[in-house]
Amino acid sequence: MKILVAVKQVAALDEDFEIRADEKDVDEDFLLYDLNEWDDFSLEEAMKIKEAGTTEVEVVVVSVGPDRVDESLRKCLAKGADRAIRVWDDSIEGSDAIAIGRILAAIAKKEAPDMIFAGVQSSDQAYASTGISTAAYLNWPHAAVVADLQYQPGNKSAVVRRELEGGLLQEVEINCPAVLTIQLGINKPRYASLRGIKQAAAKPIEEVTLADIGLSGSDVGVGNSMSHVRRMYIPAKGRAEMIEGTIAEQAAKLIQIMNEFKGV
Amino acid sequence: MDNSKEITRVLFENFQPQAIHLFYAIGYLAIAVFIYGVYVQIRKYRRGKPDGSWTELFKRFVEMVKTMATHRTLVRRDKSAGRAHGLIFLGFVLLFIGTATITLEYDILEPLFGIKFWYGNFYLLFSLVLDLAGLGLIVGLIYMMYRRKWLHLPKLDYKRVDRQEGDPDFDRSQYRREDWAFLWSFILIGITGFILEATRLVWLNDRPAVWDYRMWSPVGALLAHIMQALGMTSESAGAFRPYLWWFHGLLSLTFIACIPYTKIKHIFTAAASLMFKDPLAGRRLPKVPDDQKTAGYKTITDLTWKNLLHLDACTKCGRCQEACPANAVGAPLSPRDVILSLREFANHALSAKELPKEAELDIHGKDVGQVFMETLWSCRTCLACVEICPVAVEHVPIIVQMRRNLVEAGEMEPLLEKTLQTIHKTGNSFGESKRKRANWTKELPFEIKDARAEPVDVLWFVGDYASFDPRNQKVTQSFAKLMHHAGVNFGLLFESELNAGNDVRRVGEEGLYELLASSNIGTLQACDFASIVTTDPHSFNTIRNEYPDFGGKFEIEHYTTLVKRLIETGQVKLKKKLDYRVTFHDPCHLGRYNKGFDAPREVIKLLGCELVEMGRNRDNSFCCGAGGGRIWIPDPVGIEKPSANRMKEAGQIEGLQVFVVSCPKDLTMFEDALKTSGFEGQFVVRELIELIDECIEYEVWEDSAVTA
Repeated sequence: MKILVAVKQVAALDEDFEIRADEKDVDEDFLLYDLNEWDDFSLEEAMKIKEAGTTEVEVVVVSVGPDRVDESLRKCLAKGADRAIRVWDDSIEGSDAIAIGRILAAIAKKEAPDMIFAGVQSSDQAYASTGISTAAYLNWPHAAVVADLQYQPGNKSAVVRRELEGGLLQEVEINCPAVLTIQLGINKPRYASLRGIKQAAAKPIEEVTLADIGLSGSDVGVGNSMSHVRRMYIPAKGRAEMIEGTIAEQAAKLIQIMNEFKGV
Repeated sequence: MDNSKEITRVLFENFQPQAIHLFYAIGYLAIAVFIYGVYVQIRKYRRGKPDGSWTELFKRFVEMVKTMATHRTLVRRDKSAGRAHGLIFLGFVLLFIGTATITLEYDILEPLFGIKFWYGNFYLLFSLVLDLAGLGLIVGLIYMMYRRKWLHLPKLDYKRVDRQEGDPDFDRSQYRREDWAFLWSFILIGITGFILEATRLVWLNDRPAVWDYRMWSPVGALLAHIMQALGMTSESAGAFRPYLWWFHGLLSLTFIACIPYTKIKHIFTAAASLMFKDPLAGRRLPKVPDDQKTAGYKTITDLTWKNLLHLDACTKCGRCQEACPANAVGAPLSPRDVILSLREFANHALSAKELPKEAELDIHGKDVGQVFMETLWSCRTCLACVEICPVAVEHVPIIVQMRRNLVEAGEMEPLLEKTLQTIHKTGNSFGESKRKRANWTKELPFEIKDARAEPVDVLWFVGDYASFDPRNQKVTQSFAKLMHHAGVNFGLLFESELNAGNDVRRVGEEGLYELLASSNIGTLQACDFASIVTTDPHSFNTIRNEYPDFGGKFEIEHYTTLVKRLIETGQVKLKKKLDYRVTFHDPCHLGRYNKGFDAPREVIKLLGCELVEMGRNRDNSFCCGAGGGRIWIPDPVGIEKPSANRMKEAGQIEGLQVFVVSCPKDLTMFEDALKTSGFEGQFVVRELIELIDECIEYEVWEDSAVTA
């Protein structure tokens, strides 16, 4: 019995950040990295199944990202994950959620887990589609925004409650193996003590290249993604203005603004 | 006096040889029972983890003897009990030496070498001293009985704050019974001893060598006269004596046999505890060895032998409970109960021949002898318990060790967990960007040196609260102006400074502490400076006492000593005197932790203020409630906060104008408490730096004008 938990190291903005010169992202100097908040919950859900202890369960965390991601993976190992896998190749840079899903699916084919958990979304990019695209590439059933899970290791199906808008819950029975994207609040994630993280440094993090999972540079990256970032910017503020004066003056001012906007 | 060999005391006169043999047999049995008990205790201690306190044994021994001889720890905050104990102690020691002297002559020197010395002048002096010792013993015991029965001291009430009525260990009534059994049997030994002496005098009143020298046993003589007046004759005394003799003898031997099994063992355990006292207990918490798998104490066998010994030293005197700020506001913590619970647990689990299974050794939980998580999290690590304990029990290190285990298991308040994660991520508890640490300097009319870039005399370690809290930033700016004004060559670490880790360590997050401490030590070691100054007593404590364990040995002082020196040398000129009526709150980490009681008081007096002490001051200062990471844990609603309790105490001072603090966390805690406890408008809370600032620049902070 094996659960694969897909995690991401997300970037949080420092105060007073600056946009990179190519305007595609925030300057890395102003980013603080940490494990995606949703992933704390999906890992905890896997750990709960492992610790229920009915069958031997192996929890494997996987992430796609550069060296710095090891820090987040170690946090997962400190919390009790058995193994960690990090996939990276410079050509992966710029991949969209669908391309990342392709990579995760390739890992899943190699690992053959019984379940895949992912967070509903990442707090930095918020596409909410990595888990779903992984399911699509695997041709597995999936359930998104899972707020409750009833699953016995080895069962052919699981019962999940999905969180819908307006406070509604939808109970779904889903065939296994499946991909579930886990919502915040499904459990209480445990604390990873710093000693635990330090000790987890002894557990190896398996580094996997694209070739190891049967992919190549032509499957990933900006060129092979269905979407790419054109520009990242801070929208200008303060576009509202009170026009004062007599009716005639207000009308004249209004015409002037409209002309400026049209660029006349 | 007379040095004749006739003058001595009869021992076994008129005893059948069988009776003497029987007495010796019982005596040996009592000693065997005693030795077995000692063996069981030592086996228990040996089941604890090792501890490196076996150093400087002679020095330790001398200190212990001094403490015991002067009773200096026992008379603190309870003079009468301490003195009464002194009488009992002295009486017991002298009577023990007396009995040992008789044994030395009668059982060893005389049969082996024919040497006799227990007669004549020596005997008479001996007799007088022992009579007075016995009298002291009885007087002391009578006071102790009176105290227990009629004084109704809350600290002698064993009812627990962390248990409910009906729980098996709620009121610990077996301790009460033991206390009384101890007092009664002890006093009976004393009283029967005197009656026995008087009976002997009446019985032998026709022997001049006995009767003529009776006044060398004044208490016995007085009783003898009373007995004669009541009609006792030599014959009836002679007939009565054997019964009394056996009663007294058997009671005494039973007492000896009981020592290792009852509270009487404190004779040995308290002495040993004092001997292995760690002068830095709580001030410098123990490191977790790198090869140790889990941090902290989970099972009773995780405790060191020294911890186990401390548990046994506790005499339940309740001074710790009385001093505990958490206990004072009704939190489910009594330091004594933690110690007693663990002791009961250890006695139950570690006294048997075989160790129970691992699972039965868990000291965390809700069962008898286990310690509640809520209890451990109530502790503010203010060290009041450790400081006042007369027998050197070290509560706080044990509590923190147990918390380390809770932290690893994630058993803590969600808010605290969040704060720890924030500190890990940003290096400060405010979750602010590292870049903003020195933002408070921007409003200053001068530049502060970057100690990382150029050498300075004084490196100022600012600390989180002084750096990021808006109210404290003003104080921080004032201190910068003061140092600038005094011409001190000082600098900061700017964004390289991290939370010093004092409170992180006291929470029990040892891994994070190691990270913070080693990072700060690395940064500091790369700078060129002579000494460190800080306005934060928490940072002061950990840099001073704990960084050395991680390779960081630095000269550091709290600002109060530096400022005192600057004023005294004239580098800071006071251009105005203040006439406020003030009181001073000793911060735990400056006062109790590091004995920095005097400098702030002297500065206050140099400023011209009239200092009125609160009842709880100096070593008995009352914690503001922020220590041990409690500043990151919301206090439960509905119960009084320690800071509010302190405000009430200050409010009793007539005409109080300023409540002076010298710690950033105190300023935050007490300004809050002032508002909620109804003293707003009566007096204000000020950091000492702010008062100094008034005197230097004729300038009062606009938004904080003191209403004189």
